Amino acid sequence: MRLVAVLALALLSAPALAAPAEGGRAHALWLGPRPPAVPRRVVALAPSLTDMVVALGHADRLVGVTRYDDAPEVARLPRVGGFLDPSPERVLGLRPDLVLWLTDRGADAAVRRIADLGVPVLATPVVSVSDVLATARVLGAALGDAPAGDRLSASLSRAIEAARARAARARRVRVLFVVGRDPLVVAGPGSYPDEVLRLVGGENVVQGTRPWPVYPLEKAAADDPEVVIDAAVLEPREGISRLSAIPAVRRGAVRRLANDDALRPGPRLAGALEALYAAVHGEARP
Amino acid sequence: MKRALGTRLGLTVAAGLLALAAAIAVSSTLGSQPVSLAAALRGGEPDRTILLGLRLPRALLGALVGAALAAAGAALQALLRNPLAEPFVLGVSGGAALGGTLVLLAATFVGQVAAGAGALLGSAPPVALGAIAGAAAATALVFALGRIGGRLVPEAALLVGIVFNAFAAAVITILKVLVPPDEAARLLYWLMGSLGYVSPGTLAMGAVGVLASVALLGALSARLNLLALGDDEAASLGVDVGRARALVFLGASAATGAAVALSGMVGFVGLIVPHAARRVLGPDHRVLVPASALFGAAFLVLADAVARVAFLPLGTEPPVGALTAFAGGPLFLWLLRRGERR
Repeated sequence: MRLVAVLALALLSAPALAAPAEGGRAHALWLGPRPPAVPRRVVALAPSLTDMVVALGHADRLVGVTRYDDAPEVARLPRVGGFLDPSPERVLGLRPDLVLWLTDRGADAAVRRIADLGVPVLATPVVSVSDVLATARVLGAALGDAPAGDRLSASLSRAIEAARARAARARRVRVLFVVGRDPLVVAGPGSYPDEVLRLVGGENVVQGTRPWPVYPLEKAAADDPEVVIDAAVLEPREGISRLSAIPAVRRGAVRRLANDDALRPGPRLAGALEALYAAVHGEARP
Repeated sequence: MKRALGTRLGLTVAAGLLALAAAIAVSSTLGSQPVSLAAALRGGEPDRTILLGLRLPRALLGALVGAALAAAGAALQALLRNPLAEPFVLGVSGGAALGGTLVLLAATFVGQVAAGAGALLGSAPPVALGAIAGAAAATALVFALGRIGGRLVPEAALLVGIVFNAFAAAVITILKVLVPPDEAARLLYWLMGSLGYVSPGTLAMGAVGVLASVALLGALSARLNLLALGDDEAASLGVDVGRARALVFLGASAATGAAVALSGMVGFVGLIVPHAARRVLGPDHRVLVPASALFGAAFLVLADAVARVAFLPLGTEPPVGALTAFAGGPLFLWLLRRGERR
């Protein structure tokens, strides 16, 4: 069950079909027909996309979300499944005129079937910070409200610039970003938290090529991070003592995140930058 | 005598077709979404699309997979002269999964160099061919290593199959660590053994593969009766044992490979259905093979419907492979104990 939670969390942060966007150009892809008119009934197949629609000011158009969604605006909406198992039947039952999908191979067949049956599906790989900025514009345009997309993208850009400027004045801190503890799963290079960490003046101790490695505990101990960020928010707080082989855990240099905002490439980026800055640089947070 | 067989076969096929039609009808009416048949027939949406676009193709997919696995199970049981033989236990499904996984992996790596070529390699036909090759290799291995002193020992073959299954699972686990997380998620989902949503093209292709291999096994059913007596007896009755066995290998491997390519590792259908059919219809493979195929089809369609509906309150559905293993595991143990007592 815990592994499922880890997997779900890792998937929250968008493994993608295509390479990360460059220069803010999202590799959005239409499957099935294009919407004939401005979409009014939208199903979002990932919480970060739900967040995006809400942040664009169009929560009222959402008619279905995943079982992982926790935004208060969608608390009462029907659930259409998860990342690996969206139910095409439930999606179609909601008569959507637009389905938003974070390209994910596990659900490939189900989503392609939805598109084949005539429902417009907008697939947006969101892996990096620049993808987030681009997706805000793409979704704004898809919802017939390009100005809202531009505004959201610009406001997130400002938050990024502010974080960069603040980090430039601070010392670089060596960080281990823990997503799951049993097994130990960490954010590696190429993952979304790795990028956000760098923006706030953190340096990921995890090297290599895999974005979400199952990490040997002794390697984590040998890496000797200054700070361990505990982003395993679905697991009990005390469980971090499992990792006491890491000197920082013994020293008590563990900063637990209050939520999974740092794992969601979406509008929660602004909050994640704040929270991660505080976690990396040891500022007290409520 | 001949006439009696014809009548029995006709009655069995009619009953099997009826059961399959009933299963498809039940499966089409059950689901997470309340759907009105009348509205669907009038062309009302989304009822029509859900019924004809989602539920019916899924039921057909279940029928194909169930028919393939049950027919392969009946044939392998005759060949090994052991009621415990079936594609999952013998490692044939594991071999198919490994073969398919290797093709998917190759597609991932080729895709990093040339996206188009990678996508082509990762599409249904090459993956299915990989699965069939894997199934054939596993079958050959089981029958080669299951020989002691030049004779096939069914118990040894079963053990080889069980060990090979564990080995294939281990290799797949290692391979999963090597691929990007999205690809691993896709593999995981495929391997869990669930009926998903395939395109009409894939369904048609699967139908051709399954029907051809089941027809081959059906054509071999008279020789299966003789093979079940033992190699020497079969040879003394004029059967070219080597050739007949090779053909049964081919049919069972192709059926299992096609089933695994379509739906991952659905276990124990090849155990449950032929066993039940044998209890009712007797050991004549000329009746048993077609009956297993038809009732296997009906069985898996129903099992999938149960998997879909039983967990509805939790907002999810377990893979149908979990359900068949839930029913098949205890049956396997019971058959094992019963065999011991005899």
